[in-house]
Amino acid sequence: MQAHAFLSIDRERLRPFFERVPELFEAHHLSEAQNSTGYEELLYRIYRPYKGEMLDMIDEWMGHGPRNWRTEVEREVMLMLYAIRYPDTLLLESLSEDTQMDLTRLSGYLHFTKHTYSIWDEDTRKGLEKLGILIPQTDEADPFIYGAYISAIELLKDLAPYYSFIEHDVPRQRLFQAALAAYGREE
Amino acid sequence: MTPTEVVEQYEPNFEAWIDQFQEWQTRIGFDTAWLGDYRFDIKFDWDTAGDTIEFGDFEGMPKWNRRMQVPQQSIRDAIISMVSVQGDTEFASVEQQWHLLDSAPTEYDRKSALRIMCEEQRHGWQMAYVLCNYFGEHGIREAQKLLERNSGGNPHREDDEGQRLLGSFNEPIDHWLDFFMFTHFIDRDGKFQLKMLSTSSFKPLAASMGPMLKEESFHLGTGANGLRRIVKQGVIPCELIQKYVNKWVSTGLDLFGVDESTSAQWSYVYGVKGRYDERESTVAADREHLNEESRAHYYTELKEEMVRINKGRHDDQPEVFIPSDKFHRGVGKYHGKKFDLHGEPFEGSEQDWEKYLTTVLPGDADEAALQEYFKEEWIQYREWKE
Repeated sequence: MQAHAFLSIDRERLRPFFERVPELFEAHHLSEAQNSTGYEELLYRIYRPYKGEMLDMIDEWMGHGPRNWRTEVEREVMLMLYAIRYPDTLLLESLSEDTQMDLTRLSGYLHFTKHTYSIWDEDTRKGLEKLGILIPQTDEADPFIYGAYISAIELLKDLAPYYSFIEHDVPRQRLFQAALAAYGREE
Repeated sequence: MTPTEVVEQYEPNFEAWIDQFQEWQTRIGFDTAWLGDYRFDIKFDWDTAGDTIEFGDFEGMPKWNRRMQVPQQSIRDAIISMVSVQGDTEFASVEQQWHLLDSAPTEYDRKSALRIMCEEQRHGWQMAYVLCNYFGEHGIREAQKLLERNSGGNPHREDDEGQRLLGSFNEPIDHWLDFFMFTHFIDRDGKFQLKMLSTSSFKPLAASMGPMLKEESFHLGTGANGLRRIVKQGVIPCELIQKYVNKWVSTGLDLFGVDESTSAQWSYVYGVKGRYDERESTVAADREHLNEESRAHYYTELKEEMVRINKGRHDDQPEVFIPSDKFHRGVGKYHGKKFDLHGEPFEGSEQDWEKYLTTVLPGDADEAALQEYFKEEWIQYREWKE
């Protein structure tokens, strides 16, 4: 599933990051801004059949305001959440324009309903950039950009040595996304 | 080629083993539809495995990549035995746990348990691959045996089926409290075993361990967090939880094997299985007490983890603690001796001892009480209902 360009990744450049994944994960995940208890509760509180209130809970944890979507748009998103299969991202393209404008929000829904998709986050993108994985900056739900983003995190999971993986029951995508976010924020 | 010749020239191999694996899944009660799009991949981490033998009498020589490079038959036998035992535990845990999926307290717990079962099967698959591809007919036969035994804890079990090789893996896991105990205490032993094999002189075995250890970290996190959520919820009394801790800790300690083990010593001499902290340790190995040393590391880790689990405990509840490593042991120098939970010699008759055990280990009345608690909101976030 990894894009061909990722195969030429500089593994030596990844090594210092891999050694720090547990520490970086804790720096981000356990920070006040991330509300780790709230995050972990959501893992248990979002389940099928998905309801609007569940999306509200995700929005609240992510710090988003109300969605203000038309009913049919909300239905469209719900259908996408049921139909999409990791690592596919092309279904994002089928959404109405007003939902496509908010990749962070949609990635949150995907993350908490599937656990395999990663939350889109600018600091995480910068973290990937520091490792030599260039993902364009965007707010729009571009399936190719988001697809490259989740593939990059999946690749890091594959390449990381076992000592990068701490004993935690959060999804491994969260482990790496959170570590990358902390890494991306560092000067 | 005639049909007879085809049969005559048929050589069992890993592909044939895969067919048997699928039959095993059905036989033990695991519905393959549960796998979804999960794929059983063979994963090696050759970089972390290293190129040079790290300890033992062959230290400094290149690691062995193939069976024929292994210098003695006794070493080949030791490797086959290690791989077989590891594989046996992986399949056993699935046999013990699959029936719990229907009674998961939340959807996330169900998904986590299913993921653990998929990954345990992958670990068994990996061990079978090593046996079939590196150890010829002997290895293939051992790989088949992995699928012929059936855990004594599996509700789907015929009387004539052989038991799994290690005690803990024949224990029934009747409910989710046991599941979290198992993933916390017994999978933690698994982590120790994998780490000890990760420096092995047989490179395909060492390289198998990295990906398995990655996956194991989630299993341990699931167990530890499950116990934290139960303690924090405060519905199941800590005194009752303590009984289950007593049961699983003693069986977990036994898994490290006998004291002054000569087979552990030989494995170390061969470079096949190292110490838990082989790469980090700066002192020479005490070869006569290798199992004791690993067990001591494990025991220390259990105590540290229990401090974290207790943090969410309600004020009116007693602290849950790790019992003495002398209590209720089935293996090692304390086997057959009577010590209480705090490691003090038990004074009293055999009858007194049996009576004492009923107060500190779970019995029928405890199981019945637990079933009542399970009707309540016994664990944090138990909102999902079928």
